[in-house]
Amino acid sequence: MTSGSIGMGEQDQAEREKFENELKSILKACEGSGILLRVIGSLAFQLHCPEFGFLQAAMGRAYTDIDFGAYGSQSKQIQNLMTSLGYVENREVFIASEGERAIFDKAGTGLHVDVFYEKLDFCHTIYWKGRLEVDSPTIPLVELLLEKMQIVKINEKDVIDTIMLLLEHPLGDDDKETINIKRAAMLCSNDWGLWRTTTMNLGKVQQLAQGYDQLSPEQKSKVGSQVQGLIARIEQEPKPLAWRLRARVGDRVKWYKEVDEVQ
Amino acid sequence: MTKLVRDIMRKGLLTCLPDTSLGQVATLLTQHRVHALIVSKPTEAPLGVISDFDLLAGEWLSVDKESLTTMKSLTAGDLMTSPIDTVEADVPVKDAARTMLEKQVHRLMVIENHKPIGVISISDFVAGIARQTKANRETVRDVMSDAFLVCREKTPIISAARTMTQTHWRSALVVDARGKPKGVVTGRDLLQFVGSSVDEGLTVGDVMNPALTTIDINASLNEAANQMIQNHQHRLVVLDRNDPESFPLGIISSFDIVAEMARPGSIWQS
Repeated sequence: MTSGSIGMGEQDQAEREKFENELKSILKACEGSGILLRVIGSLAFQLHCPEFGFLQAAMGRAYTDIDFGAYGSQSKQIQNLMTSLGYVENREVFIASEGERAIFDKAGTGLHVDVFYEKLDFCHTIYWKGRLEVDSPTIPLVELLLEKMQIVKINEKDVIDTIMLLLEHPLGDDDKETINIKRAAMLCSNDWGLWRTTTMNLGKVQQLAQGYDQLSPEQKSKVGSQVQGLIARIEQEPKPLAWRLRARVGDRVKWYKEVDEVQ
Repeated sequence: MTKLVRDIMRKGLLTCLPDTSLGQVATLLTQHRVHALIVSKPTEAPLGVISDFDLLAGEWLSVDKESLTTMKSLTAGDLMTSPIDTVEADVPVKDAARTMLEKQVHRLMVIENHKPIGVISISDFVAGIARQTKANRETVRDVMSDAFLVCREKTPIISAARTMTQTHWRSALVVDARGKPKGVVTGRDLLQFVGSSVDEGLTVGDVMNPALTTIDINASLNEAANQMIQNHQHRLVVLDRNDPESFPLGIISSFDIVAEMARPGSIWQS
């Protein structure tokens, strides 16, 4: 695990509120516009974890930007929305990514908004299709989990966010305030690489949770049982031939895409 | 009299050692015109089975120089399926066919007195194989079969099975009156009728698989292997992307790709 990375460090309350309030402003401006702009990243975990969200500050997990998932068909509307809120788009990013990503900066504020269109495409790909309608204002809980679990060189900030999520929400077969393990199992059974990274990282989360003084023994135990429940369900899912064939090759061939540190 | 597995099985085992390279396996499969080898060490019980479909992993995962080097270093023991599904020699053919359908496998090792004595495969039920090697084989165009078996949905199953056996084809493309592909009928689709009388009114349209996977004639073998593995299909219908409504240009099968891997001078033989 990488520590001392972007997203870790002390952050005073005023700075945290700056990000949280800006997010509220963007979401408010979105209301009634028909734009499906769903929060991902650290702020999404904070929004979806009212009981355990305090752990971010307690464990030194800092906000660095505001991230969203959206559909590419609404990129123009999102560009207009952000412009109306005083943001300037870095157009080169949108062009270089062939419309898969947009970055907006608000001059003089240090605020930075990242929009990922259609998918999150880092070590593995998590597609939004049909999923942005499921929850609001964030992506569904299972996609939040997979957003973190797909990072091969997982960071401490990602582990902290995952711990919060596992403490706050039960596992189940739907998305209503529940981590949809049916979907996690389905995605991991269709892609051996995602299975490999996800199960590896779940193990790391379980192990690292034991070392946090900010967690009670009961909370550490809860994280462990949630991880075990997730892994058991993923393993139980039938695996197609392609998965089984890829599994035989295993780690000998790289199973993920190399990326810079995921912020 | 009920036909037994021993009556139609391929006697003896075609084997390779666990440390046989994928290129060597491809050569053996092509030389013997079979779709799988039993992996075993001398005087020991069979360890597993490696098939042409398993070899597709070589093309599928060799996306760059590094992965190609890794995949070339893999052996039959690395990619084999283990344990091997087996059937007793005195089991009726019909029961063996049902087992293959239930387990979704293409072959069973035949056992007698706890010892392997042969192999029974879908090909034994329906047809053998016949492919002609070409000189330059790097894309779908180079490897595919230009000539292939075609039938209509209304073709009686008995007629399709007879033609597949006579021509040694393992599949037939099903087209409509205008030549538009509607599906594929394979030996696997016919397994359910082994050992039972077939209703003469039953047609290819009743049993064919309508889920056609197509590929462009200029696609790479890596893309073809990827499509086959991801869709779990042993053959793809080759189309001209510039004219997708036209009659298909050919069929490419997993065996065609393995034959390329076995070709002297291919990257798998160096």
